[in-house]
Amino acid sequence: MKRMVIRQLIEKIEGEAELDYTFSEGRIEDVKINFGFYRGIEEILEGKDPKDALVITPRVCGICNHAHLIAAVRAIEDGYENAGVKIGLTQKAKNIREFTLACELLQNHIKWFYMTLLPNLEKYLKIVSEENHAMKATYFSTTITKALAIFSGQWPHSSYAIPGGVTCDPTQLDVMQAQSLLEECVRFFEQVVTACSLEKYLAIDSVSQLHKIEGDFGRLLHLLGSNGMAEMGQSYDRFIVFSDSFLSKAGKSIVTSVSKVDTRYVHESAQKGSVAKAVSYKNRLYETGPLARGMVSKEPIVKSLHKRYKDSLMTRVFARVHEVALLLEESRKLLKEIRVDEPSCTLEAELKLYEFEGTGTVEAARGSLIHKTTVNNGVIVKYDIITPTQWNLSHGNEKEKGIAVKAMVGSQSIEEADFIFRTFDVCSVCTAQ
Amino acid sequence: MEQQYKPKLLWLQSITCNGNTHSFLNHPELFSILSHFELVHHPVLESSFCMQELIDGILPCDILIIEGAFMEKGYLKSGVEVSSIIEHYADNAKHIISAGTCATFGGIFKQKDPEAISGFCFDEEEKTRRYAKYASKLISLPGCPIHPKWLSYVLLMIANDRKISLDALHRPVELYGYTVHTGCTRNEYFEWKIDAKNFGLKEGCLFYEQGCQGPYTRGSCNKILWNDMSSKTRIGTPCFGCTEPTFPQTELFHTKTNMGIPATMPLGIPRRAYLTLTGVVKSFKIKRFSERLMEYDR
Ligand code: SF4
Ligand code: SF4
Repeated sequence: MKRMVIRQLIEKIEGEAELDYTFSEGRIEDVKINFGFYRGIEEILEGKDPKDALVITPRVCGICNHAHLIAAVRAIEDGYENAGVKIGLTQKAKNIREFTLACELLQNHIKWFYMTLLPNLEKYLKIVSEENHAMKATYFSTTITKALAIFSGQWPHSSYAIPGGVTCDPTQLDVMQAQSLLEECVRFFEQVVTACSLEKYLAIDSVSQLHKIEGDFGRLLHLLGSNGMAEMGQSYDRFIVFSDSFLSKAGKSIVTSVSKVDTRYVHESAQKGSVAKAVSYKNRLYETGPLARGMVSKEPIVKSLHKRYKDSLMTRVFARVHEVALLLEESRKLLKEIRVDEPSCTLEAELKLYEFEGTGTVEAARGSLIHKTTVNNGVIVKYDIITPTQWNLSHGNEKEKGIAVKAMVGSQSIEEADFIFRTFDVCSVCTAQ
Repeated sequence: MEQQYKPKLLWLQSITCNGNTHSFLNHPELFSILSHFELVHHPVLESSFCMQELIDGILPCDILIIEGAFMEKGYLKSGVEVSSIIEHYADNAKHIISAGTCATFGGIFKQKDPEAISGFCFDEEEKTRRYAKYASKLISLPGCPIHPKWLSYVLLMIANDRKISLDALHRPVELYGYTVHTGCTRNEYFEWKIDAKNFGLKEGCLFYEQGCQGPYTRGSCNKILWNDMSSKTRIGTPCFGCTEPTFPQTELFHTKTNMGIPATMPLGIPRRAYLTLTGVVKSFKIKRFSERLMEYDR
């Protein structure tokens, strides 16, 4: 049996990765994913004031910094609760946090769709396109992050969520401005991404109605379908979600059954030859991210696609773009409900606790993000960050190959595997922290 | 008008979170700015050459943008030291822009290994061994992350062949001549020494209790707003001094004080003068400042 290993540098993801593809008889038999550089945010936090994590952890990642802020603030709030301090967030603070988080997911998904997926699919299929995909991506993401910045002051790297609420105190004018910016993004989704109204799009609940989607998303689905790619890239069909959000409740999904999860059973382990740690849940590997959220929440259209194509790249890609519609719709509600006369923050600024342990989870663009903080004598003694990409992009363990690795195995070319790899919305920055 | 020659732009990353890349992608006029240049290589945008060519070969480069902190040895891409790749292009470039606090002073990632990690030409405020070699073409744009409009200012000045005035740390004076305090909507409260009673309020200044470093941090965050919309201090988050060589300090949501007086004075203000002023100002009781700015009827 002829075996050969080819090393390839993958770029234009978040950061870079080096992949060693092992070919056997013309097919990929194994892939080793190597990530660059360990930056050590967890160590940097040791000895610091617990609230400093709100400033430092967003610097784990330029594209999902806000998710880190929310995970960090939830970890502190959970710790406070464990230490006996009741946290009663106002509805206003909750809605503002949910909205800004939705904005971050939106910019991520649209950038991925236009800057990673479409150009690489065209390259793979040798289609020459005159379109400036990046311009569409940045138009949308600039607009939605403006709405985010109304509440958070800036994006990236804001630290506006604090224990007990948020630092901002928006006026009606601010909320209305955010609404207009959001509507601008809805318009973009309707006219450019799907060429159908948001309402009509959201009514689509089965594979047989997918033809109703036109626009760039319709084109992508058509390209995948007509080039025999719809069933490529299947993995273990196991999914996990750790945080409750409107997108999904926490839970795990294996075959058709959904059951509860607990972060206590999450296990991190070092990997040979990589600075990224692998994660498992009760010794098994799970996929996390939009497809996992769609499966755990039993989103009808995602389930329908899954029934037909399993956890293939088609279903995975669809689930991510589909979230754009869900996020836009939910954001409308969140903004509409904000009552500016409610308090923004219910805890006193100087409240300082000396001993606590807390866990914060959040659904970030690429899946569940977990922060754990342990505080002794008023300073952080241990901080753990488990990022979504650690679930999807590990090599796996002795028993099983990693989620993305499994999806690439069987591919006949590096180009094919490369494209499958990118459907996971790869972020080396987060993976290696 | 179509330009004859477009300066060749190369964006390289060292130890980074990609935040500067994503910040610049948020520039509303991104593509009109980029139209003045040929993008030789960029971490996410389509560009003329791929990463492997960049590592293997000698690409043309007029303007080098560096994102991320610097380590002499041990940070490799495709088996090659990133420091040597960057120095190689820095030798050939006409302009070097250190984009963000990491590339400029070392930033957050420096704290992982303060001995080995620094900025490209500065290690906090100290000059690195590279300084002498590259100083003549260096422009520092600290900020964590970089402000997109600060970068576009520098790029367009270069594209138009105009001289950029710099201060001692090579920061453009037009951008860093201000402090973050300039233009903050809470200035009235600062003047009358009225602190924000808590987080989550429009009223009050964050300098006295909540850790705001705006009065001694150089940067135009409150003049050239973030995302064209706002700034940290406008929405009630203290300025963390992210443009400064000392970033990040500790206890960022808390003002360090000496006998109740903020330990660091506003830029250029002698402590004694500040104390005198505070005494006078605090004797006023101004009703307007003890109330909410606006009341909504329920
Ligand atoms: S909050 Fe900060 S920037 Fe704003 S007025 Fe007070 S000290 Fe100045
Ligand atoms: S306000 Fe301060 S912390 Fe925020 S971006 Fe500006 S300089 Fe950095």
